[in-house]
Amino acid sequence: MPHQTECGRKGDLTDARKLKSDKLSEADAIERAKLGDPLAFEALYDLHKRRVYSLCLRMTANTAAAEDLTQEAFLQLFRKIGTFRGESAFSTWLHRMAVNVVLMQLRKKNLPVVPIDESLETEEDAPKKELGGLDLNLAGSIDRLQLRRVIEALPPGYRTIFVLHDVEGYEHNEIADMVGCSIGNSKSQLHKARMKLRELLKTSRAEKAAKP
Amino acid sequence: MTCTEFEQVLPDITGGDREFEQEQHLRSCSACRSLVSDLKAISQQARSLQACEEPSPRVWNSIEIALRQEGLIRQPSRGEPAKVHSFPSRWRSAWLLPVAAILLVTAGIVQYKHAANQNVVQVAPAAASRTQLASLPTEETMADQQLLQSVAQRAPAMRDVYEANLRDVNSYIRDAQESVKNNPNDEEAQQSLAYAYEQRAMVYEMAVDRSLE
Repeated sequence: MPHQTECGRKGDLTDARKLKSDKLSEADAIERAKLGDPLAFEALYDLHKRRVYSLCLRMTANTAAAEDLTQEAFLQLFRKIGTFRGESAFSTWLHRMAVNVVLMQLRKKNLPVVPIDESLETEEDAPKKELGGLDLNLAGSIDRLQLRRVIEALPPGYRTIFVLHDVEGYEHNEIADMVGCSIGNSKSQLHKARMKLRELLKTSRAEKAAKP
Repeated sequence: MTCTEFEQVLPDITGGDREFEQEQHLRSCSACRSLVSDLKAISQQARSLQACEEPSPRVWNSIEIALRQEGLIRQPSRGEPAKVHSFPSRWRSAWLLPVAAILLVTAGIVQYKHAANQNVVQVAPAAASRTQLASLPTEETMADQQLLQSVAQRAPAMRDVYEANLRDVNSYIRDAQESVKNNPNDEEAQQSLAYAYEQRAMVYEMAVDRSLE
């Protein structure tokens, strides 16, 4: 899909761009959105759509689901924008809303948000025990596309914690609060997710090397 | 400290705050050093995935329609008259004229007729009486099909999105028509119907406008 950042109407193009260009203008856009200004809504959407969509995509590993969840997150935000008082950053508020939307969806589908009981993990999902024997030397050689692919292959529970911590930058106490687990569990699952990714990257690299 | 023992405490020390024994082991064990280095590389590269993808235009289209239907968009867009939809200059290409005609016929001239005090408030496309509304669905369907064909020619990927949007807005119009039929003197019902037609005109405008891009 071609990159589209502005509304299509010629006269509105400059205004929407102008709204996007200046940090201070986000505050203006919020106030105008409270009054029902369509340009303000679109400007706020354009400012934050990539972050929200990328989060949804990383957590669901499904483009259509990610778009639906992005839509839902923004709609919830715009419905509540009248209550935003500026105590926290707007982006933080929106981001939290997006995470909650995704987590609710995962729960609705009975997908594990995070494995609470480690004994419930399948042998296939759990990272293989490696007593530090293999020297993979991944540092400096992981590319984004490769990493994106292997994240999609992670079991949902590991993926959630990994995305929230390593991609989105949430701390373990915040993650524990959002997903309803202990801080210890969050740390443990993050470690397992990284180990699993390491294993998947190793496999991917070995397959690449084996090709003629 | 063995490698097994080191790996067991690894989840708690990835932040870098290690005890002396753990540091000692790391200095002496290349395998564990490599493991820690790999995990750190994965974590660092992960941050670059933040905000790196973009949703398709259909997401904003759907949001905008929902906002208008819920009445959260209350002001007209800058440069856009309150009720009459003007067309951008680039629409003057010959092939757009039929589409513009469809837009005008469908959105129509919004007139209000109040039976009791004879204000001219007739909610229908031009020259169509209330009793003739029943015939509009066929005309609307034809207009919709022509619009969707135009969109499919210009931007095939967007056709399904606009088909879904038209379905929603036509359903809204039918509900509003029913409401006017049951309560002919209800101004709110008449305004709802007018608003529903405006929504439809907006979908048309967006469909042609965006498929051009």
